[in-house]
Amino acid sequence: MRRLAIAVVALAIALALPRVLYPVLALNILAWGLFAMAVDLLLGFGGLLSFGHAAYWGVAGYVAGLVARDAGAAYPVAALAGALAAAALAVPLGYLSLRRKGIYFAMVTLAFAQMLYYVANEARGITGGENGLQGIPRSFPGLALGQSMSFYYAALPLILIGYVAAYRIVGSPFGHVLVSIRDNEARAQALGYDTARYKLIAFVLSATLAGLAGSVYALGQRFASLELLHWSTSGEVVLMTVLGGIGTLWGGVLGAAVFLLLRDFLSTSDAFRDAPGVITGAVFIIVVLGLRRGLWPSIGRLAARIRR
Amino acid sequence: MHIPRRLALPLAGLILATACGGGTTGGPAPAAVKLTDGKLVIGVINDQSGVYADLSGKNAVEAVNMAIADFKAKYGENALGGPIEVISADHKNDPALASSKATEFYERSNADIILDVPTSSGALAIAKVADAQKKLYINITAASTDLTGPQCNKYTFHYAYDTYMLAQGTGTAVVSGGGKQWYIIYPNYAFGQDMTKSFTAAVTASGGTVIGSDGSPFPNQTGDFSSLLLKAGQVKPQILGVMQAGGDLVNVVKQYNEFKLKDQGIKLAIGLLFDTDITALGQDAFAGVQYTTPWIWSQDDASKAFADKFLAKTKIRPTFAHAANYSATMQYLEAIRRAGSDDADAVVKALEGYKFNDFFIHNGLIRPEDHWVMHDAFLAQVKSKAESKEAFDYSKVISTIPADKASRPLAETGCKMPK
Amino acid sequence: MDYLAIQLFNGLVNGSFYALLSLGLAVIFGMMRIVNFAHGVFYMLGAFVAYLLLQQVGIGFWPSLVIAPLAIALLGMLLERSLLRRLSGLDPLYGFLFTFGLTLLIQDAMRLRFGLQGQPYATPAELSGAVTIGAITYPTYRLFVVGFCLVASVAVWYVIERTRLGMVVRAATERADLTRALGVNVDRWITPMFGFGLGLAALAGVLAAPMRNVSPLMGSELIILTFAVVVIGGMGSIAGAIVAGFLVGVLSSIGAIFDPAIEGIVAFALMAVLLLVRPAGLFGSLETR
Repeated sequence: MRRLAIAVVALAIALALPRVLYPVLALNILAWGLFAMAVDLLLGFGGLLSFGHAAYWGVAGYVAGLVARDAGAAYPVAALAGALAAAALAVPLGYLSLRRKGIYFAMVTLAFAQMLYYVANEARGITGGENGLQGIPRSFPGLALGQSMSFYYAALPLILIGYVAAYRIVGSPFGHVLVSIRDNEARAQALGYDTARYKLIAFVLSATLAGLAGSVYALGQRFASLELLHWSTSGEVVLMTVLGGIGTLWGGVLGAAVFLLLRDFLSTSDAFRDAPGVITGAVFIIVVLGLRRGLWPSIGRLAARIRR
Repeated sequence: MHIPRRLALPLAGLILATACGGGTTGGPAPAAVKLTDGKLVIGVINDQSGVYADLSGKNAVEAVNMAIADFKAKYGENALGGPIEVISADHKNDPALASSKATEFYERSNADIILDVPTSSGALAIAKVADAQKKLYINITAASTDLTGPQCNKYTFHYAYDTYMLAQGTGTAVVSGGGKQWYIIYPNYAFGQDMTKSFTAAVTASGGTVIGSDGSPFPNQTGDFSSLLLKAGQVKPQILGVMQAGGDLVNVVKQYNEFKLKDQGIKLAIGLLFDTDITALGQDAFAGVQYTTPWIWSQDDASKAFADKFLAKTKIRPTFAHAANYSATMQYLEAIRRAGSDDADAVVKALEGYKFNDFFIHNGLIRPEDHWVMHDAFLAQVKSKAESKEAFDYSKVISTIPADKASRPLAETGCKMPK
Repeated sequence: MDYLAIQLFNGLVNGSFYALLSLGLAVIFGMMRIVNFAHGVFYMLGAFVAYLLLQQVGIGFWPSLVIAPLAIALLGMLLERSLLRRLSGLDPLYGFLFTFGLTLLIQDAMRLRFGLQGQPYATPAELSGAVTIGAITYPTYRLFVVGFCLVASVAVWYVIERTRLGMVVRAATERADLTRALGVNVDRWITPMFGFGLGLAALAGVLAAPMRNVSPLMGSELIILTFAVVVIGGMGSIAGAIVAGFLVGVLSSIGAIFDPAIEGIVAFALMAVLLLVRPAGLFGSLETR
């Protein structure tokens, strides 16, 4: 019952958000939130830090853009295409990356994402290279989606599907096995689980969600560029995940909101506008040194105190 | 004196008209200007932290402010019937960021116009946004001819220079000077690709040949152009045409000297040279190089006057981008006065077909067919340090390229301007 | 044929930087189990120290080769002592994130101070000019870089693998507990080794200054390539870092002959191949955890 109440409140917030914030910012928060949740799925629940997840966010963004622009597809079709492309890419890359463990795995994912960055730059006939994929249309029979406000509501169902999917994966038997692999892989193997397969599936699922997020983002921006694949994008989403709280899942949305709102706020102030990297870097350092549990647990504690 | 009755009325009218406004400054005073939402918001989007930061950057915003101040000095504080606000953003040479900042300026900040925008990929992206939002956009610092070509639209104007102008000036001059065989290297994005096209056309038209061209990644983080330059050394053209700009150009020239390509008989031709590049590498590294520019601050007294005011505010001499931002702002404000409103469609009408001159634009005409601002360009040459009279006195004008030669013929633009 | 030879030299030059950088990375990782994302930043800072020494104090290239690495090593040791220490017991993930944040912060701060345009740094007079071997003319300075890096890499390898000092360091790395039990003060080595690794990065930076743009972002793409090199060579292995560095440099340049586009991708493709057939890397051994 309580969970239903929370869900209703969250939905109300999501519906009201673009009226409170600039609609593009609101959609960005939701998209990055899903992206961060995808990373958390792998990191918090699978124990695998992917530092190259921008590969899936970016590839999906490009594919969605191409499908929308060149095939004239409606936006849900484009988003689906993007997510599937990300999933397809994740199979070979995930397989290769998972040949290493721990921090090496992270380094390998980073390297693969960088490789895709180069490839995207070179394949400028398809991606537009440095010019990017400009003027991505968003269409749906019967709807006018030109205004940012309209597209927010149109894209909301897609994002919600992603959120619910992540939530269900984590709560499912698969999710529980994943957590047990995270905690002690040897024991899981001893119990008969094919841990390599579980990890690969988790990787692909995470990449698919990241792809869905990236597709919505690119359609919202009406633009896909190399920035989507850059290592700083991979880094920022990890920051959002850690900021929100590793292993909390919803912390990802919180982390994305805090980070993006902070950046938006600072971009208006002359003093900080010039130094986004300094701010981002400082936030990283502060979080790693003193806020490793993330913000979500703190909110949970606050909520508990209020209830009492 | 007895005035015949039938002449009295027209005479009175003439006297009245002359009394009301006439004179050299531009015609009768217009009706009071009405701003659509009570204020005018000017957005400046450019690179404030990357390779083109010194070209326009923050000082371009200064130039815009100077123009507004001078406009108010001329017509009064409340010349437009409302406040004039300037906002700016750094697009970091990222077209996606440029696109989203432009959308934000138009939608969230109610900007009435966006100015500047270097980096052709970003420039083109914003042209799309301006068209979608039906608001004005005067591009000043990007060079792509697509802005007045296939990507032209009702709300986009292209002000200071483009690749055609550069190619016509430098390409033609170098080929006439004997450099017939070219090999071109360029940064692989809209600008570089466009430059290569324009230069190839200009060189071929004047009797030269381009034996090959190769692109370098943009942005180029390693700053290493050795593979390209070594390949040039293999190919052995008479002229190495370098289309890189800003920080990339500085590296290319540095490595060009390092590999001693000049000794191998390969001369350098630079597509686009800014004063800031000369500052970065040192004047003598570029001495003797000829290049095309829309403006040099030392070229005449009016320009020097502006440059002195600019120096006082910013401690550097203006690049052509700074001067162009001033000029474009002034012309925009004047256009609003003529139109009586800041409504985009009205201002577009006031701009199209307008002929004018100021210290930056000589023999200017805003072409209605593609919204290119025709004006004279100049072939310049970098002086050696010994020849310079003061800091930043880098170049001298060698010849003038008249506006019609410096502008792409209408038949070639490929622009289909909607009515 | 000449073109091939020139590109080979070019490959060796690039490889020198990869080797020196991955060497430093391997030393730091071996000692502290920290993947130092900020390695590229210290490379950049080394180049800037050289630039500033020349600009402000008039100190030239040769003294900078010694001063810059020392200065950066000191800076790094201070950093380690004050901040990095706090992460010592934790998952290596946090060390990685910390150094990532540090990278963003320092790069942006340098950008604010110096801009992205890049500062000029002249080739030292003794090494300017070119050497002609047969039909090939190649800049003297680049030949010097190759030679210097080869010597430096081999020297480091020798010290670590063949001397008593190196033996102690290696023992402390692989089994800190046993080494402690044998009476060696392991902790005393951590800070100096971190400084040493960073010093190597700064050394590479000074060497790069006359050749590349001395600009705040000069290390940022390089660092990820270095990661690929380290995976190829094998994380724990010093010899692996050196061999993989030169190998990647040479293969990338040769690839550029066929198509300039693939130069950037060769390292990653090689990494992918290695992951498939020999995940431990050329000289490394698979981690147990």
